[in-house]
Amino acid sequence: MEEISDPPNPTREISEPMSEFDPKTMRTTKPGAKRLLITTSVLVCFLLGFPFLWKSVEIYRSPLPFHDIDSLSGQIESSPLQFPCTFHAIFVGFRSMNPSNLRSAILDGVTQFTHRSSGCGSCNFSLSVTVQDPDDHCTETIVRDPSKCSYRCGVIKGNDFGIGLEDAAVDESLNDIFGGCTGHGGKIYSVVVVNKDLGNGEGEVRAVVGKHRHAWIVGSGLEERYGDMVAKVSEIFVKVFMKGGREESSINGEFMPVGSDGKVVLSFNLLNSNPRDWVYDWDFQRIDETLLSPVIKALEPVANISVESQVLYHTPKSSFASWDEKLRSHIFRMSDLPFFVNSNEWHLDTSVGAGGRSKILQFVVYIPSAGECPLQLQLPNGEMSKTNGFISPMWGGVIVWNPANCDKGSGSPARTSIPPQNLEKIFEVFLGQFRQLFGFKSEATYTSGLGTFEILPSERGFTEWELDVLSRQHTCFNLQSCANTLGSLSRLVQSLPRMIIKDEIGEQVKFSLKAAKMAQSNASLGAYGSSASSSREARSLAEDAFFHPSIMSVSYFSFEHCFAVYSPFFLPVSMHVILAALREWKRYKQEKAKYLTSLTRKKTA
Amino acid sequence: MARFSPGSLPVLVLFFSRIFLVPIALGSADVEEFSEELLLKPLSDRKVLAHFHFESQAPPSNSHGRHHHLFPKAISQLVQKFRVKEMELSFTQGRWNYERWGGFDPLSSMNTKPVGVELWAMFDVPLSEVDASWKNLTHSLSGLFCASINFLESSTSYASPTWGFRPNSDKLRYGSLPCEAVCTENLTPWLKLLPCRDKDGISALMDRPSIYRGFYHSQRLHLFTVDSGQEGLDSGIVLEQTLTVVLRPDSGSSKKQIQPSWTLSSLFGRKIFGSCVLAKSSNVYLQLEGLPVHELKSVDQELETNGLWKNAGFELSIEPDRVLQETNSFLFEFDIGEYNDSKPFDLGLTWKLPLKWSCGQAPLHASRFLMGSGNERGAIAISLKLTETYEKFSGGDLGDGPCTLQANIFQVFPWYIKVYYHTLQVFMDQQQRTVSEVVKNITVSPSTDKTSPGVMEMMLELPCRMKSAALSLEFDKGFLHIDEYPPDANQGFDIPSALISFPNHHARLVFHEETSNSPLLSKLKEKSPVRSYTEILLVPLTTPDFSMPYNVITITCTVFALYFGSLLNVLRRRVGEEERLLKSKGNKQGKLLQLLSRISAKIRGRPVESSSSEASSSVMSSNFLLKVMLVAGIAATWQYFSTYM
Repeated sequence: MEEISDPPNPTREISEPMSEFDPKTMRTTKPGAKRLLITTSVLVCFLLGFPFLWKSVEIYRSPLPFHDIDSLSGQIESSPLQFPCTFHAIFVGFRSMNPSNLRSAILDGVTQFTHRSSGCGSCNFSLSVTVQDPDDHCTETIVRDPSKCSYRCGVIKGNDFGIGLEDAAVDESLNDIFGGCTGHGGKIYSVVVVNKDLGNGEGEVRAVVGKHRHAWIVGSGLEERYGDMVAKVSEIFVKVFMKGGREESSINGEFMPVGSDGKVVLSFNLLNSNPRDWVYDWDFQRIDETLLSPVIKALEPVANISVESQVLYHTPKSSFASWDEKLRSHIFRMSDLPFFVNSNEWHLDTSVGAGGRSKILQFVVYIPSAGECPLQLQLPNGEMSKTNGFISPMWGGVIVWNPANCDKGSGSPARTSIPPQNLEKIFEVFLGQFRQLFGFKSEATYTSGLGTFEILPSERGFTEWELDVLSRQHTCFNLQSCANTLGSLSRLVQSLPRMIIKDEIGEQVKFSLKAAKMAQSNASLGAYGSSASSSREARSLAEDAFFHPSIMSVSYFSFEHCFAVYSPFFLPVSMHVILAALREWKRYKQEKAKYLTSLTRKKTA
Repeated sequence: MARFSPGSLPVLVLFFSRIFLVPIALGSADVEEFSEELLLKPLSDRKVLAHFHFESQAPPSNSHGRHHHLFPKAISQLVQKFRVKEMELSFTQGRWNYERWGGFDPLSSMNTKPVGVELWAMFDVPLSEVDASWKNLTHSLSGLFCASINFLESSTSYASPTWGFRPNSDKLRYGSLPCEAVCTENLTPWLKLLPCRDKDGISALMDRPSIYRGFYHSQRLHLFTVDSGQEGLDSGIVLEQTLTVVLRPDSGSSKKQIQPSWTLSSLFGRKIFGSCVLAKSSNVYLQLEGLPVHELKSVDQELETNGLWKNAGFELSIEPDRVLQETNSFLFEFDIGEYNDSKPFDLGLTWKLPLKWSCGQAPLHASRFLMGSGNERGAIAISLKLTETYEKFSGGDLGDGPCTLQANIFQVFPWYIKVYYHTLQVFMDQQQRTVSEVVKNITVSPSTDKTSPGVMEMMLELPCRMKSAALSLEFDKGFLHIDEYPPDANQGFDIPSALISFPNHHARLVFHEETSNSPLLSKLKEKSPVRSYTEILLVPLTTPDFSMPYNVITITCTVFALYFGSLLNVLRRRVGEEERLLKSKGNKQGKLLQLLSRISAKIRGRPVESSSSEASSSVMSSNFLLKVMLVAGIAATWQYFSTYM
């Protein structure tokens, strides 16, 4: 306030006339420290009070276990989750085979196939080999775990595998033999190699993969083609049982169409593009009961699936098809497929049932209007699509169904139902699409450089070994996404130091980490079901924490706001306090120097 | 939108070998049904009422919410999830003119709604869960209809009426949003629930500009469940969707006495190209009300032979399929199933004679208004006037006993309107009466601040002979928290409409002959109590200066800082030393100070003083001047910023 310009030449406190006493540089009395004390004590009070103020304006942040989150994501990244699997190879009808040699040969083959990608959700396998000679004498490699039920020698007869025997029956008998062998050490997959003269020419080898966890190779003269056979066995183990027969490039776990709460809603829609031409209806409830429920039941460990259906009308597609005179049909090219789905007119959505974060998969049967009937989808190579349908990953599938003869008839259209045979066919295509959305092939063969394997289809849509693959990948993907979400959450929280974090979020993170740990330990024990369910829980809790409404809302009490509120008081006051203390300190030093010089003068004088 | 993997078109293999599908039996009694109807009615004030009525029915079944053929899946899932027993949602723009458009017919008593959004729902859940269901339902509907129905979630905005809104309504919740703007984004999701949407059938008439240009627009969705009466079967659902619009036909003719002639295409700008093929029945009705038929008969002798549709008074462009006679009106029925693209349905009505008719009126005409001034308190008044038609009617049966007229009033007050129910005053024919004389039954649930609104249900019994009655209630206006004000706080706050119903008067159409089982006609034949809604009111509340908290912070902080700083300076001041300093510095003044002292001397009109002797005083005065200028400068900038910021 007042304008005391700092005096360069301090005044004298005492004006005693003294010889050679220069009042500008000397003083006789000790400088007083009263004012200095006052100003410094005020400054100290302020400095001491500052932490209290800081504490009082602090916002509540629940402590998050950042370290645990980092370690979880590090762990998942560095060592992908692996499940224990037991492979069992049985060679029937071989005379001069050493099981330990065979074992090492198969191991070599398996590592050769797996070395490129030890992807998430793969197997941490153990292998045992049994060789049974034609006289039913067995030699085995040492079984490490005696608790596992081992193969009883001589149960499999060469005659069980022959021509004229149903593959399904063979599969069932194998399942009976190995039945009850699903011990706690993961799943047991077996390949039976039967050396047997089939009697229909040399060199024919059949390889079949059953719908349980067994495969068999039957052929004659296999003993001579030793290397080929070993390669085949190891390929079945790796490509089929471990990877589910998927292509490397096909849909991987990240595109698993399962919602973060583990729910999937299958929404089936029958679209009559122009009901003025014809109106088709279906009896969906019966289909649901007969066809879909076994599939849904089979997929229960992976996802909780519910089914809905509706019939919609006046739903044209959004792009035009061209008429092909030669094929006598309207052609829709594959390059136009992105414009097939008409999101303006196809109101497929509206599922209150799929609340939260469940995934909805749309399956659409499109019935073209009379003007564009028959409508065919054309493959890029010019051929017609046999299924007349397509899928769109993570969205669903579309099938075009043309009414027979495209006969419009006269008069107003009546509601007719799709003939049962056609409906059956449509749903077979749907199931194929559904398998594709999960990344499986819809063909019943698996072809590789070494030959073709037949795959027995299951009436439940998915075979047991496929479900194993799914549940392994699902667990792994859930854990990955849980770690990702938690990692993003921790980065977000750390980057915004003034964001409120409620206790609820902290608890959700804690439980999510706990569930993730649980899933990991269960996976290492080989408990597929429980590890899948706890991984799902971990993921959904992590998502809950990330999408907690308190994070989404404007809970960001910014530093600028804080500054604007407190600066009108603290800025002027702190200036006063600091300046006063500084000045007093400076003055005290000066005066003290003066006093000291006067003292020295006295002494010398 | 979608990504397509290269192997999109696979070759498939039959995964199912043994599947037996029994041929599907359609056409049995238990199928979902849909019907569309339109009722047109010329109004006495040269306007035309168009009432669209769509009805979807889902029979009792176990697969509700899962498998549907015609019935909208979304609605069924809603009913299933929240256990809704009955629900009505309406979006309205404009106010129904009860005097000119009718107040005593089933159309007005069922379909007129207050401005904005009104929602009520009855639930089939235990009493403790009703509120939770309501909250979830509002959120779902809000998403479904693109409207801010979710504002009805907070307990301050919905009420649970006991008897005034509907009889036996213990699990009923009622809420309304008077200020909700209604537009085409609400109509589109509503149309989505119809199997033909607006692509085909009668709904194809709904040309958005023509509909929203109207004087009144009310879009309604009413659903109720029908008990199947069977074990293990879910109840069936009936969904009624109605759209009521009042339009004014362009009258090209100069003759002002004659009612304007119109056609469907002149009203809507579109024609009907046949029915929606999925509809069980699709009819258009034209209702002519209150026409003096015997007068027309006398004018036109050919009436009997040519039918009622072509006579001297008016002429229809299309011959009706049926003519239904009602006590007070005619209904011409047109079946549009036979029309198609080449032969569109474009009904026209041409008036030839200036005809006048009056519409049925509710016994009382209600209006509501605010009294008082200022932002502190006020009063709300409801005035009821006996309408002309009823005056005549009541005058007729004076003979038998004391004639009374019963009216129920249902009113929801927001909590910031703190009504003093003891100040209820009743006036009858401008004379004050005691409350007990008129009010037979009153149920009041007072509002709680920031938790629940106030609800008033009142049963009045008025003598028929009175001409008018008025009720008034005083209220205080509450203060809202600064966070609770809407963005447009200065606009005022709406008080929802009051509902006046007359439980002893029922509006219905009575036909002389058997009618077809059309859902619209059977709805009109039902007895429905006469109801009318009052206007909504706009109450101005005190709105704070929203920047106030920050201003307060700034000014207190500044004052504190000034006080603190000066205190600190006083504490460390050395008075004696300063004086000595000033004396010694007397001769060495700054140039600026000298200049200032010179200027000040000029102003004072004195010659420049010699600096030596009176230096201190001149320094003091120039210091003082400096301070004055500083303060003035601060004041000027403060003024500048406070006006421009």
